[in-house]
Amino acid sequence: MFSRYAKLILILSLHLILLSLLAPPPAYAMHIMEGFLPLGWAALWFILVLPFWGWGVKSLKAKVSGQPGLKLLLGFAGAFTFVLSALKLPSVTGSCSHPTGVGLGAILFGPAAMSVLGAIVLLFQALLLAHGGLTTLGANTFSMAVVGPLTSYGIYKFLKKTKVPLSFNVFLASALGDLATYVVTSLQLALAFPAPDTGIWGSFAKFISIFAVTQVPLAISEGLLTVVVFNYLFAYNKEELKELAVLQEKGGA
Amino acid sequence: MSVLEQYAYSNRLRYVHPAEKIFFVLATLIFLLATSQIKIYIFVLVVVSVLLIGVAGIPVAFYLRLLLLPLSFLITSGAVIALTVTATPDLLLSISLGRFTLGVTREGLLVAAKACLKALASVACLYFLALTTPIVDGTAVLRRLRVPGLVLDLLTLTYRFSSVLLDTAIKMYISQSSRLGYSSLPRSFRSLGYLISNLFLKSYEQAKMLNITLSSRGYQGEFRVLEHPFHLSKRNLILIGLWLILLGALAWPGGGGKLVVRIGY
Repeated sequence: MFSRYAKLILILSLHLILLSLLAPPPAYAMHIMEGFLPLGWAALWFILVLPFWGWGVKSLKAKVSGQPGLKLLLGFAGAFTFVLSALKLPSVTGSCSHPTGVGLGAILFGPAAMSVLGAIVLLFQALLLAHGGLTTLGANTFSMAVVGPLTSYGIYKFLKKTKVPLSFNVFLASALGDLATYVVTSLQLALAFPAPDTGIWGSFAKFISIFAVTQVPLAISEGLLTVVVFNYLFAYNKEELKELAVLQEKGGA
Repeated sequence: MSVLEQYAYSNRLRYVHPAEKIFFVLATLIFLLATSQIKIYIFVLVVVSVLLIGVAGIPVAFYLRLLLLPLSFLITSGAVIALTVTATPDLLLSISLGRFTLGVTREGLLVAAKACLKALASVACLYFLALTTPIVDGTAVLRRLRVPGLVLDLLTLTYRFSSVLLDTAIKMYISQSSRLGYSSLPRSFRSLGYLISNLFLKSYEQAKMLNITLSSRGYQGEFRVLEHPFHLSKRNLILIGLWLILLGALAWPGGGGKLVVRIGY
């Protein structure tokens, strides 16, 4: 009985904190909305993301040639990532949030595939769900489809060589992938809107601390969720995972 | 099918050449990003909204609700830009936090209001594209723009499959929640984990089945689909040209709003 009340009070107080910070109820992963970045920055992020697109398309082309079936699989991988971002995460704080699929996608399909698939998913999110934007596609791709997956994948591959248990590894990889995405987005916003007296870093501190309210719980819940998903995948779908390893750079998921 | 898509297929501008619509939206967007005049933002917002409601026939109430959708991002980011933390308390409204003061300045508010209005006008442009042009028509234009074929195929495949998978996911969710699968937090995590891993398996199986189906019909790794024949209309092109000239003329005499690409704001 007591614990129920304690939980209720905890949830209520968390709600109040959220409200007081004007945190919105639907917390998607941080997409910078259409038109929020000035032209120079929007263009810069497109330029920065181009080599990664080139890398992704090149590596996918090499794999798809001679194996037309793989293309269909990739299409389904993209759709899977898109649908993942439309699902609702179980709420810890009371605000509803959506998984990014960054960590899961990176571990399953590899970072090269994610740079292209992620951009496609972001385009659809803008056009079908009115989330994100066309001019901010470069910036969003850079944070969500390049830095996030690379972080997740790097951590996953690195920790796999050590003695860290797999579930903790998956948790860290996906949670830190999410956090990396959110740090990069905050940096992108801070660069475009530096504070008048404290400059870029002051602005960065402001963005990162306010968005932490929604993004840190999101990263933790997504980390937990990815662990649960992985446990099932490893228990029941080992064969599929082995076949999927073809999609990745060196193989062996 | 998302609600935006239903309008994309049924609006009155559906059979206008998609290249015209894409050009109109992208040119206006780039113009918006390059200017720094509030009057242009308001002008674009009003004109694009009138076009969507009056010409394309999007219901007013639905459109207004759409405009409110990105409000959460706007409020949070706008607040962050407007708020200043300084050691010198010279603010319109402030709370002191020990050594520092948290508050808003006139400049900060102005920058935030400008950024939000600009974003709102740009979102209206994005909606113009999303509500009048189906994805399928858009990919045809991208093909002309020499986007790699593999990317276009992936775009089409992802688009087609996502509605199938979304449908499957919704059905799984309904059956899970009707069996109390989401009644507590730990249970929700477990159910959603089941859902996602099953969804993964389903997508994998579907991709395999589709491969078999397509191979038996001579699939060699290339998709050939008939595209809807669209015709460029001279009248529309002239109107878009006039619109851009009008925007340029509006921005010109105001000063400070010239087309200058500046890093920062």
